[in-house]
This record gives sequence, structure tokens and C-alpha cells, in this order.
Amino acid sequence: MEVTLRRFDLSDVDAMMAWASDPEAAAYCRWEPYDSTEPLLAFIRDTVLPHPWFRAVCLAGDSRPVGAVSLAPTADACRGELEYVLARAHWGKGVATAATKRALTTVFGEVKGLERVETLVDVDNPASQRVLEKAGFRREGLLRRHY
Amino acid sequence: MEAEAEGDVSLREFTEADAEALFEWASDPRVVRFQRRDAYAHVDEARRYIIDHVLPHPWYRAICVAGADRPVGSISVKPTECRASVGYRVAHAHWGRGVATRAVSAAAAEVFAEWPWLARLEAIADVENPASQRVLEKAGFTREGVLRRYVVLKGRPRDMVVFSLVRGDREEKPAEEANGP
Repeated sequence: MEVTLRRFDLSDVDAMMAWASDPEAAAYCRWEPYDSTEPLLAFIRDTVLPHPWFRAVCLAGDSRPVGAVSLAPTADACRGELEYVLARAHWGKGVATAATKRALTTVFGEVKGLERVETLVDVDNPASQRVLEKAGFRREGLLRRHY
Repeated sequence: MEAEAEGDVSLREFTEADAEALFEWASDPRVVRFQRRDAYAHVDEARRYIIDHVLPHPWYRAICVAGADRPVGSISVKPTECRASVGYRVAHAHWGRGVATRAVSAAAAEVFAEWPWLARLEAIADVENPASQRVLEKAGFTREGVLRRYVVLKGRPRDMVVFSLVRGDREEKPAEEANGP
């Protein structure tokens, strides 16, 4: 499974609605599903475009995004937090694993001072835990009552 | 100023007048070894720190022992969402007597009471700082794992052990005796 990562554009809003409006895709994310494209356009404009590292996940040879992956800064420059989301139509095919691997390779080259990429996964989300293990993450522990 | 007491350890708010006491541990390389900040060279740095960082902080306390007013250390709790993180330091002369452990217990009791939204209190300790790890274990925290290359300390990435105390940990055990049918 090959993917490419690219910056988002406002014109991606319709493709984005495929996962942004889906309660199942959003189930373990920190945001609520979107009902309409206006607030999603505002999210792209106000959060995605100025973000230090936010990328659209595209299947090789196709320019339409099927998901997103981002690295959020934390209180320390040495540490970034990875998040990803994928449209349900593309689950179970290795897309998230490929996107995560590609993201890791890229950010460790691009982001100055980065020593550690971390991510938090709900205990009730074993599918995402497997994606991360296959992408090379190491499970460190269980943070109780974190959210 | 309200004081939370545990054994002969009590917590109170700082004032500028505590600058010299704070300078005593903040200038000690043994105390600041696992901190990002370098040891202070002048008491004015301690005074500035109290004014700029301690007084505006959401929860920062001086640790006092045996009824004496001069602090021997500090403890702070920083809230984020439903969590908060606790950090502490104690003057070297008062190490090895359970001062930090009692201060952490007292601080935990106070913040869980003061902040009903608080579900989780966490702390990190350098993997090469077993004394601090023992403080947290004795204060009832659960060790959850090692966060690799979590912070860069004086130019070097450090692995940190993460500990937590969640609200349910502190509930009293139910009475074991039955009083009858």
C-alpha cells in the first residue's frame, strides 16, 4: 500500500467531509463530527492551513485525500504528538499504517529538534493500537483517566 | 493563607520574602540536577522567579517543616483539561526524611478537594532519579511506564518514568466490620 502526503487546500473540503462527518471515523478522535461544510471550511482555514505540520493522505496516483495525519507541537520542541484519521471506506487495507510510516520518516527529517513522536490511543481502540505497532511505535504504558 | 498539614510538613503560599530560602535550594546543583533550569547564581534570580512565575501560578506552595516558617522546598500543580501535573523540590539538608512524600500527599489531598473536575494527577521522574520515583510510589502513585526521550535536559534527551494518582485511588476502603444484619 503506497500513500503520498501533501498539504491541504480549501478545495479539499468536500473530500474531507467523507471522514469529518462520520461518527465512526470520529469515534476516538477529539473532535465532534461535522454537520455541514461551513464549519469544516473554517477549520481548514483557521487550523489546518496555518498548522506547523498537517497533511492530507492520498492513495498513490490519486490526488483526492482519504484521510489526514498531523504532528502537533507540545510544551517541548523535542516532542510532537501524532494524530490521524481515515475515511471508513479505506479502513482495513493498510492505509493508516502506510500514512503513519510516511509521516514519521518525514517529520524526523523536517522538524528541527524532534526527538520523540508520541500518540495516545484509547484502550478500547485495538485497531489503532495495531496500526501504530506496525508503523514502528512502541507501547510504553497505560495512562489512567487521561481524558 | 490556608495551610495543609501532613505529619510535620505543611504547605503555604509563597511571598517575595521567601526569596532567600528559595535561593538556597535553587542554587544547589544537587537539587536542580534533574531540572531544566540551571542553578541560580544570585538571590535576585530567586526573587524574580517568585514574582514572575510563582505568584501568578495556579497552584504553587512552599513546603515548611516542624512548625518553622522558613520553607525547605516547593511543590506546584499545573492543571490541563481533566488532569494536573505535580512537581517538587526540597533543599538537600532535608532529603531522606519523607518531606517530599508528605508534601506530595498533602498537595494531592488539597487539589483533589479544591478541583472537582480533576480526575488524574500525574508526575514524571527521570529514570536516573530513583529517589524521586520512590517519593511518588510512597505517596501512593502508580507507575505507568517509561516515556522515552521525553524531554531534553541540558542538551541531552532524557527518558522519564510517568506516575499517576487518579481520583478513585484515594477513596477510603469500605469498613471491614459488619455491624449486624
